[in-house]
Amino acid sequence: MRVVHYLNQFFGGIGGEEKADNQPQAREGAVGPGRLLAQVLGENAEVVRTVICGDNYAAENMDALTAFVINEAKDARAELFVAGPCFQAGRYGVAAAGLCVAVSSEMGIPVVTAMAVENPGVDLHRQSLFIVDSGKNATEMRDALTKMSEMAGKLADGREIGSPAEEGYIPRGILKDAFVEQTAAERLVNMLQAKVKGDPFESELPSPSFPAITAPAPVADMSKSRVAIITDGGLVPKGNPDNISAWAATNWGAYDISGQDGLQGDDYEVSHRGYDTRYVEQDPDRLVPVDVLRELEQANVIGELHGQFISTSGLVNPIANSRRLGREIAAQLKESEVDAVILTST
Amino acid sequence: MRLTLAIHNVDSMRMGDSTHLDGNELAVDPDELRQIILDDRRLQSVDIEIVSPGEDCRIGVVFDIIEPRAKEPGSGSDFPGILGPIEMAGRGITHVLRGAAVTVVDDGVPLENGKILEMTGPAGEASPYTDLHHLVIIPHPDQDLERHSAQAATRLASVRAAVYLAQCALELTPDSAEVFDSEGPVVKGREGLPRFAYIGQVHSRQRVAEIDEKILYGDNTAGMVPVSLHPNEWLDGAVVTCNRAMGAETYFYQNHPVIIELYRRHQEDEITFVGTLATMAASDNEERDRNCMLAAEHTKWNLAADGVVLTKYGGGAPHADLSLTARRCEELGIRTTLQVSDMSWDRRAESALLFNYPEVDAIVYVGGRDTDWDVPAAGRVVAGNGELAEELGAPRNLIATNVCGVSSQQGISRLRSMVH
Repeated sequence: MRVVHYLNQFFGGIGGEEKADNQPQAREGAVGPGRLLAQVLGENAEVVRTVICGDNYAAENMDALTAFVINEAKDARAELFVAGPCFQAGRYGVAAAGLCVAVSSEMGIPVVTAMAVENPGVDLHRQSLFIVDSGKNATEMRDALTKMSEMAGKLADGREIGSPAEEGYIPRGILKDAFVEQTAAERLVNMLQAKVKGDPFESELPSPSFPAITAPAPVADMSKSRVAIITDGGLVPKGNPDNISAWAATNWGAYDISGQDGLQGDDYEVSHRGYDTRYVEQDPDRLVPVDVLRELEQANVIGELHGQFISTSGLVNPIANSRRLGREIAAQLKESEVDAVILTST
Repeated sequence: MRLTLAIHNVDSMRMGDSTHLDGNELAVDPDELRQIILDDRRLQSVDIEIVSPGEDCRIGVVFDIIEPRAKEPGSGSDFPGILGPIEMAGRGITHVLRGAAVTVVDDGVPLENGKILEMTGPAGEASPYTDLHHLVIIPHPDQDLERHSAQAATRLASVRAAVYLAQCALELTPDSAEVFDSEGPVVKGREGLPRFAYIGQVHSRQRVAEIDEKILYGDNTAGMVPVSLHPNEWLDGAVVTCNRAMGAETYFYQNHPVIIELYRRHQEDEITFVGTLATMAASDNEERDRNCMLAAEHTKWNLAADGVVLTKYGGGAPHADLSLTARRCEELGIRTTLQVSDMSWDRRAESALLFNYPEVDAIVYVGGRDTDWDVPAAGRVVAGNGELAEELGAPRNLIATNVCGVSSQQGISRLRSMVH
């Protein structure tokens, strides 16, 4: 197996931070950790070429570096691409993971990198790569390379990759079902016993960590603002003209309310299977309060009610999809010069 | 309070001239059972079939699965409020036909998303119901009935059949006995053991319970706030599933995996099992806040629990009630573990939980969304009508969440999702 290896200027033996602006260069054969890599990969593999690049150059010229690496890998007829291990080196990790993604999609060969869980390269690319957990400590080089070599072997053979704990890679955040020995009831009570005793326990799903979203500044003057209503409660005109799905909706609709003092149940239906929709069907103003906002508009508490309301169905909607819907809706409202929105949910 | 289950093992089932236990073989007189079921004039007819373990058979759409049980005279009422008069469930002696089930098919629903029982193959092996001998009943309600009345008649038929079967064992000596004995939250001589409770949702108001829908002692749970139940009440017919239950069957209320596990640890002196609450998922925020607060306070001040296991009912929205109750418990110093169902449509861990409370950190994740089986045409089909049977019997893809018991919300599931 022909292996191409990527290293930064430090591990490539060129120098420290003062050499971080160095452009990429290719060398025949293994360099630095590549020699150890060749050892652990064994007889059937050979490190045929090494690309070395400065961390700053990589951070600032990722496209050029990517083109360089792919060119070298193709030229060297690479069958495996290895980058790192990068441990805690952030710019190195970002470049290594990014190169792995690019080489994999361009050449369809197995790619392996390794870094510490904390490395920013992980957050960027964990969903698309098996990133081996190298730990933080660069003195564990042999350990990290051994794990990378095992991962490379499995990927090259097309073997199924097991769980992160078994295989030593950083969880990608992908759920896979498995049948286990214990019933859910046994797992629940075992976990509770550990938790009450203060013993360590492992949740079957770690709590997600979402970045906190800072509340925007208050609307300066509501009496001069154009206000829009957005709902994820699935209110749509009769016949659901945009075919908004009743769960995990992938689209949203904007529906005209200009000149209306309120919404009539006869004109609307609800495309959402997750709540008791009867009261909204009776009077859609309960979900999309056009009636009250129209009064506030007349009393000049708000400047103006936007001429359309926006609707989608939020039920079991994947986060990535929700983000996209949010961006699209925000962009359109921005274009319509809406100053403030009221979000109603169910 | 002490409940003794008199266990009569059933290892085969056949039709016969009279309903009786012949050793461990259950003979069923279909004519007598039919007569009892059709005493309800809402039903026009009923089909009765036997399906055995290992049979190449597919059954659907399943309305409910119930273990045949009958109360010993003087011990209380069978399915109180649902079938028999209101009396406290969970005491005295209840006769059980272990190894048998009454499986009820709903003839009024389309196959889409309906629950299926697959008796063989990998899908069958994954289900806890396939080693049982099933007496399948298919009640056919009057076509002119409103849907909820038809469902109410189906519910009544289900419990009637379950009790009828087990009554043949009342005079017989059981093969074994199981005793469930708990003095409730006030227990002497168990100082130093952690005190564990269970909070289980029994309905979700995402779907409004019908006026004649019988869930808890015959009540449809509308307007209900969390109520305290002795663990034995769950096991002895106080609770049945609603008219369209996702991931729950009455069988695993009668054999409640969480309650039985807590009892087992209690009997082994690892914990003290102090009691349970039945609650439901709300339809609006105010109701949710009220119910979750009350459930947590009850667990703290009436049950004095140190830890509590929580399970949910229904679909996505009940996770809000589940997690908020857990959070309130944690705030009161009660440690929690909770079982959630698979809500990740994109199989990403980031989408998997419908809540985000750091203190709610001990989760059992029952999977199901990427477990499915391509099953061949079924050798035998038991369905609500001929048209449904044809559709059901054809080769199809079965997803775990639609196969009875595989991704159960009641604690019997061995399926879990791992983060890869």
